Amino acid sequence: MLPNLPTRRDLLDLAARAAALPGAAAFFSAWLQAADDHSHTSNSKAPPEPPLLRNYKPQFFAPEDFAALQAFTEILIPTDDTPGAREAHCAHYMDFVLQSSPPPTQTQWRNALSSLKEAGFHAADAAGRAGLVAAMSKPERDRNATHPAFAAYRLIKQQNTFAFYTSRAGMIEALDYKGNSFNETFPACNHPEHHVV
Amino acid sequence: MAKTYDAIVVGSGACGGWAAMELSKAGMKVLMLEAGSRVEPAKDFHHTFLYEMDYRGQGKPGAMRRYSGSERNYRIMLDNEENPYTTSPETTYRWGRSRVLGGRTLHWARASDRMGEYEFKAASRDGYGMDWAVNYADMKPYYDRVESFIGISAAMEGFDQFPDGVFLPPMPLNCAEAIFTAASKSLGWPTTHRRLAQLTRMHNNRPPCHYCGNCVNGCDVGAMFSTVAVTLPPALKTGNLEVRTDTVAARVRMNNENRAQGVTYIERYTKKSVDVDAKYVILAASTLENTRLMLLSDKGGLGNSSGTLGHYMMDQVGGGGVSGILPKLKGGPSRLDDGKSAWITIPSFQNIDKKTQRKDFIRGYVINATGGQTEYPQFAASVPGYGSEWKKEIKSRYVAQARVWIAGGEMLSQKDNRVEIDPEVKDAWGIPVLKIHFTHSDNDYKIIADFQEKAEELFRKAGGEVMQGMGRGGPTGFPGAPGSPDAGTRGRNAGGGGGETGRRPLGGSIHEVGTARMSVDPREGVLTSYCRTHDIPNLYVFGGNAFPSTGDKHPTLTMMALTARGCTHLLDQAKGKKA
Repeated sequence: MLPNLPTRRDLLDLAARAAALPGAAAFFSAWLQAADDHSHTSNSKAPPEPPLLRNYKPQFFAPEDFAALQAFTEILIPTDDTPGAREAHCAHYMDFVLQSSPPPTQTQWRNALSSLKEAGFHAADAAGRAGLVAAMSKPERDRNATHPAFAAYRLIKQQNTFAFYTSRAGMIEALDYKGNSFNETFPACNHPEHHVV
Repeated sequence: MAKTYDAIVVGSGACGGWAAMELSKAGMKVLMLEAGSRVEPAKDFHHTFLYEMDYRGQGKPGAMRRYSGSERNYRIMLDNEENPYTTSPETTYRWGRSRVLGGRTLHWARASDRMGEYEFKAASRDGYGMDWAVNYADMKPYYDRVESFIGISAAMEGFDQFPDGVFLPPMPLNCAEAIFTAASKSLGWPTTHRRLAQLTRMHNNRPPCHYCGNCVNGCDVGAMFSTVAVTLPPALKTGNLEVRTDTVAARVRMNNENRAQGVTYIERYTKKSVDVDAKYVILAASTLENTRLMLLSDKGGLGNSSGTLGHYMMDQVGGGGVSGILPKLKGGPSRLDDGKSAWITIPSFQNIDKKTQRKDFIRGYVINATGGQTEYPQFAASVPGYGSEWKKEIKSRYVAQARVWIAGGEMLSQKDNRVEIDPEVKDAWGIPVLKIHFTHSDNDYKIIADFQEKAEELFRKAGGEVMQGMGRGGPTGFPGAPGSPDAGTRGRNAGGGGGETGRRPLGGSIHEVGTARMSVDPREGVLTSYCRTHDIPNLYVFGGNAFPSTGDKHPTLTMMALTARGCTHLLDQAKGKKA
C-alpha cells in the first residue's frame, strides 16, 4: 500500500497558511518546487531508467565474450515473475564501466572471461551452461569443493548483483524500494507482535 | 581605509553559522569566511535514484578518488588533493572533512544529544583526565536555546545520563526498531528514539521532514538542521553579515597589544592574499582546522602559553557492530524503513555513577540499532546461490535487514595524540598542512569489546540471525560498488604505516575533538570555559577544540551550546560587562 502522499492541493493549502508566517514564502516556494521534483519518484512513479544502457553497444568485451557474459548474468538473475539481469542490462552496465576502468581491473575481467571460456561456457548450449554455473558455484556452499572458474563466478556474481539491484528493474520492480520519495508521514510499526520479545 | 568588522567568523559549519547569527542579530558587523563554495539547497540538492546516474553513485572509475563522499554528495565534501594532511607511521586515523558553505551540517547524521553531568565531571568520578570547566547547569540554558531554535525531534525519557531538552515529537519507529526496543527494554536497558535535529512538524518557518532518506546528500527543503537552511537566513536578514565563500583562511594576524588584528586569507581561485581586520576573531573552521590556524599563526602556536595546543586529540571510537536479519520480518511487505535515516538509541548505562562502575574499563558508549529495507541490499552478493530461488531469498531478507552499531564510544584523552604542522607538505594554496599522531589506548579497545558483547546480546534477544558479509564493506575488485572503501578520505601519507601493532585498528566517528582544551587554570589548557583563549582576549575558538574528554554523546549539539555560551560572553565583553 502506498504511503499517504500529500497532493499538490494539500501542499498549496499548507503553503498558503504558512505564508502568513514571516519569511515563509520563499521557503515554501522551494518546498513546492521540491515536491514537484519528488512527485515522480515515489514508488511506482520512480523515474524511468535513462536510455544509456538500452541503446548501448558493447565496447569493452569482444562480441563472443559479451554474449557469454550476458548469458551468465541471466542465469544468475533470471527473468521470472520479476525482471532479471536481461531487463536490467547488467552485462551492458559492466561493459560500460569497464571501458573506463583502470588496467588491473580490465585484466581481472578479461581473465575471468578466459576462465569461463576454458571451462567451456562459451561453447555450451543452455543446458550445458546451466550445468557449468552449478559446478562453478559449488564452492560457495561446500568448502571442500573447488572449481577453476569459481573466482570468475564470484566476480561476475558480485558485480551482477550490484548492477541489478542498482537498476530500476532490480531496485523498484524486484525489491519494491519505497525510499527517495515524498511522504507526509513516516509509517510507524503498528504490529503488536513487534513490540514484545 | 580598509573596513574593520566587529567580528570575523572563519568557517560556516554548525558553530560558525551559530556565531554569525548571534553576533549579527546583536548588531555586530560580521564577516564570515568559508573556504568552500556556496550552495543553494532547493537548487543543488536532489532526490536521485542510483540508476539515474551513469555510474550508479560511484562516479567514473578513478574520478572520485580525490573526493570524500559519493557521486551524490562529493560537491558538499572535500577535494583531498587540494587539501592533504599527513600522519605518523603508527596512525590509521582518517580525518573526515568538508569544505562548503554550511560545512558538515549539510550531510551530518543529525544526532543531537545533551551531555550529562557524569560526562562533564568524569575525571572527578574515575580519576582519569581533566574535568570540563563547565557543568551541566552552566550548559543547560544554552542547550535550551540551541534546541529551541534548530528543532530536535525526540522523546522525553527522564534518563539522568541522557538529559531531556526542548523537543518536537519523535519520529516513529519502524518495525525493526520496535523489535530492538522491546528487546533492549527486556534486558533492562534504557532505550529511546534517536534524538535528531530534524523536524517532525513545522518549526520556525521550516517544513517538516518528508521522509525521503536523502539526508546525507543535502536536505532540499531545510527540514534537517544545516547552517544554510537555519542560521544563515536570519543572520543575512539583519543586513549585518557579509559572507565570502572560496576564501581559504591562512593565519590569524596579531597586533602589538596581544590582540588578534584580523585574518589573512587566500582567494581560492585567484590565489590572491587578502587581509581583513576585526575587533574579534572567531575560529569555527572545524576542530582540527582551528588548531591548524592557531599553529600557523605564531611560532609555537597562538595562545599556547600552556603548551597544550595541538595535544589531547580525540575521536569517539567506532568499528564493530552486528549485522544480520530479524526473522520476524523476513518475507514481509516492503516498507519505507529508511525514509527518516534515524534509529533507536540505547544511552550508556555503565560507568555513569559509582554503582554502575566497571572494574575492567572506564567511561562508556551509546548503542544504536535499526533495520528494514535499504536502497541497496548490501548483503545480497554474499548469499550463496543464484537463480529465482536466490532472488526470492534476497527479497525476503531485504525487508528484514538489521544492524546494531556503536554511536559514541568514549575515547580517553592522551597527550601524545596530537597534531602539528607538517614541515614539508603544503595544500593547494601553499599553506602548510597538519600532521596527525593518533593511537588508541587499552581502555578504548575494552570499550569496543564490551560494546560488541552487548550488541550481540541485544541482537540475540531480538531473535536476530547474524549474517556474515553484511553491513560494512561491499563487493571489491570493481569500481562502482556501494560500501567499497572510500579512497577519498585518505590524505597524503595517511595510513602509510602499519597501524597499531598487533591489534585491528579501531575506527573513528568523525567526532574529532580536543587539541585546545578548556581549563580553569590557564596552565592546563588553551581555552576558557567560554571558548576564548586564555592568552588572547579577542580570540574565540568554537568547535570541538575545547573538549577535555569526548563523552559518549554525539558532539555537535554541545559544540553549538558552547558557541552560544561563548557568543553571550563575547557580547558581554564587547559591552564592557566582562573582562
